[in-house]
Amino acid sequence: MTTTTSRAPTSPDPEEVELDTEITSIRAESKHPNRKPLIQIPNSKANPNQVQTLQKRKRILTSSLLTTNPIQKLLRKQPRPPTTTNQTDPLATISPLVHAAGAHTSSNHHRIAFGATAFPFKDPSPTASAAPLLGVRIDVCARNGRFTKPYYILLQHERSRAGPGSGSTKMFKVHRHTVPGFISIAKLESVYLPRPGVSRDNGDGNGEGGGSSGEDEDAEPAKPWKKSGSSTRKQDLRGFVRELRRELVAWHMRVDAIDFLREKLGLVGEGGKSLPFDVSPDRDTGIVSLAAVAVEARYVRVEWADGRVGRFKLSNAGVVERAVVIGDEGRDKKVEDAMTAGGGRVETVLDRLRVDVLSASPGTPGTPEV
Amino acid sequence: MARPKAVRAPTTASLPNNLRIPSSTPSLTKSLGKLSRQALLDLAFTWLDDRNIASFPPYLQADEDNPDDDEALPYPAGETIEEVRQVYEDLQDRKGAKREVLERILEGDWRHGITLRQLAMADLRYMDDHPASLRWTALELSRIDTKRKNSQKMPPADWSGSVPRMQAATFVQGLQREISPLVKAHYHLAHSATLPLTFLRIFVVDSPYQSPRQAAEIFTDSSRVIYVAFPDSCPYVYTSIAASTGSKAAPSPSSVATDTRTLQRLVRDSIPKALSRPQERFSLQATSLAAKNLPTLLALRGPGRSTASNGAFSIFADAAIEGSPLDPRPSNTVSPEEHIQTSHSGPAEGKENTNGSAAKRRSSSIDTVPVSPDSKKRRLAIHSRFGTLGSSLAPAPLDRLDIRLLDTAGSNEEQDDDVDDSMSTLPAVSLTFSGSDVIGGIRKLAELGIVDPERMPSWMTGEEGVSVATVRLGQRLQRDI
Repeated sequence: MTTTTSRAPTSPDPEEVELDTEITSIRAESKHPNRKPLIQIPNSKANPNQVQTLQKRKRILTSSLLTTNPIQKLLRKQPRPPTTTNQTDPLATISPLVHAAGAHTSSNHHRIAFGATAFPFKDPSPTASAAPLLGVRIDVCARNGRFTKPYYILLQHERSRAGPGSGSTKMFKVHRHTVPGFISIAKLESVYLPRPGVSRDNGDGNGEGGGSSGEDEDAEPAKPWKKSGSSTRKQDLRGFVRELRRELVAWHMRVDAIDFLREKLGLVGEGGKSLPFDVSPDRDTGIVSLAAVAVEARYVRVEWADGRVGRFKLSNAGVVERAVVIGDEGRDKKVEDAMTAGGGRVETVLDRLRVDVLSASPGTPGTPEV
Repeated sequence: MARPKAVRAPTTASLPNNLRIPSSTPSLTKSLGKLSRQALLDLAFTWLDDRNIASFPPYLQADEDNPDDDEALPYPAGETIEEVRQVYEDLQDRKGAKREVLERILEGDWRHGITLRQLAMADLRYMDDHPASLRWTALELSRIDTKRKNSQKMPPADWSGSVPRMQAATFVQGLQREISPLVKAHYHLAHSATLPLTFLRIFVVDSPYQSPRQAAEIFTDSSRVIYVAFPDSCPYVYTSIAASTGSKAAPSPSSVATDTRTLQRLVRDSIPKALSRPQERFSLQATSLAAKNLPTLLALRGPGRSTASNGAFSIFADAAIEGSPLDPRPSNTVSPEEHIQTSHSGPAEGKENTNGSAAKRRSSSIDTVPVSPDSKKRRLAIHSRFGTLGSSLAPAPLDRLDIRLLDTAGSNEEQDDDVDDSMSTLPAVSLTFSGSDVIGGIRKLAELGIVDPERMPSWMTGEEGVSVATVRLGQRLQRDI
């Protein structure tokens, strides 16, 4: 298996031919990563995927090797003394790679440790202002140990001309973001990033309309409030990011808590997908279904085998705040109380709803059972 | 019609679910005929389901008054519901035309009439199958806050958007209270089977009577139907204000009450009022977006990540530039497709679509372009301007884009201050793009080198996520002038 440029017509072993073509395709792809393999492999459909996964694995391995602490230290130490003497040091050629890997690890460490990191972003639009946007990236770790897609907020610098006293103070304004719609960026912005200029600009008869974007419209209901207390309030970017991150984390925690309950009830199938239907009710609680009402996962709907239907509200802290259960003969206060009792932690709500626990305390509904 | 016609008194109640439209109505055949065979069968099974059988009883032998009529009809009435069910099971198993199912429904098992609710279910099923069948306008729900002034000291602890907590029955009651003095309506509320939406179908008639005496055709008149869609967990509402204004092109002032558009407007105005509660008032505001495709609306005005970042910023919405913090590879060595597909687990995004095919399709389409340094540069520029929008990775097709340009011709200088004096003499240039995917088309033009990707204004990249905009100096103006 020396060279594979020839199609090896005399090769007797078909396996060898296959191997040869495979190697060719791998070589071709590694040379031109964007191109299709030069030689199409006719006999096997799975090959391109294999090549991809192998390449991916190789890249992950090399980059994790490069980013490990001992290697980084070693590489950093080594080239120092001989740099001036010999230019053809082999380490010099890999140093940009090593450098990039090192920088990437440290930024990853920041992202993991702090959850909110900042970066500059230049809007490619020719009509955008020259100043780069301030990007904030928020990372949230989910229950399965993985990180969710990062959330971004891109803030625009704005010089407030109308600011009293100091002529031009830097103001931030949310330009674009990827925060889900049920968290109101407009509300957060109006509290933490108030801009005194906004109301005055509009008083001028929509001068500077060009700089404003979709968020202005959203903030409009808040304007009377802003006008009254605006001139003295300062922008608090840290507070803004803190509150936003808290809200995002709380959302993911709510989703995770509901997933956890569903897993406990056996409502989740093998591959993490929900089972189609006809789930046998949970033996201890008689619950046949438990699911978040909407994407926001603020409310959870519960169904029992005997036809009772309930709904409870989750707080940001993971506490069942309120619960309503309705059966055929009106509300089931006992179950409602059991849901909110005992500190109301959502993780243990199923323990409190066990039939034997509920029937064991008939006289005193709502005693903490946990 | 099955109801007695002797007593007719004007009421304010809504049209009943079980009001039957005669099966012989030709337009009924037409509107049910839009559905596919499978959809019709599914509907029949739903109607015959144990939970629904009371609402949609099929015509059984026990209902027959005089069995002599039976010979004239091609389908003998079934004896039990099981038997009727079996008929549709058989139809399900064998291949055949849509026609036979439709005729079986109209002339056989529901020969005594299709109820309004059945018709509504059929319409919603059609909507699920054809998400681009109507033109939708996105409106934003915003809270009218009067009490905010008092609470300026303590910031509100609740950062959730102005998503009204809607309880279906209560909402419909509220809506009924609002519009019943003016129009008579039938409501049908259902969650979409395919999209994260709740549909409300409102059918309006301008008769005060419980069983209107109008021709049965009126019940299938699509201009009398208004759809309102509530996407899950976000402060937006989509409405379909029927675009078919053909017959009503010039509404005469005398026929105010019977004009279907007036009826529609009445309904639209009462939606925010029905959503409101004491201390929590809502109003609807336009968001300058109308599109034919519901997924587009969900992408641009929905609960997801892409609502407020499009065009160049769609790379953030799709998280296409950086990976998870646990990824050891520097982000510039990983292709955007891989970033999008990798193991991010977002609760909203659900499961990643397992498609190597989309990525492959895209890379192959790029490959067909001969690589010269010039085109490479252009491709990079296109990537930076459009992000992932308009490519096969994140399709949100706009079918129409209306742009009004307010720039004075030939002048490129900044005109920040003297806006007012230039207002009077501005020649307004209006551009209208239409097609199956406007932004994708502009991207294609840029790829072909017809549009300069570096110098084009940002509204051409779909960055604003609107379908109507007024533009000056390449920037979208907030208010339409």
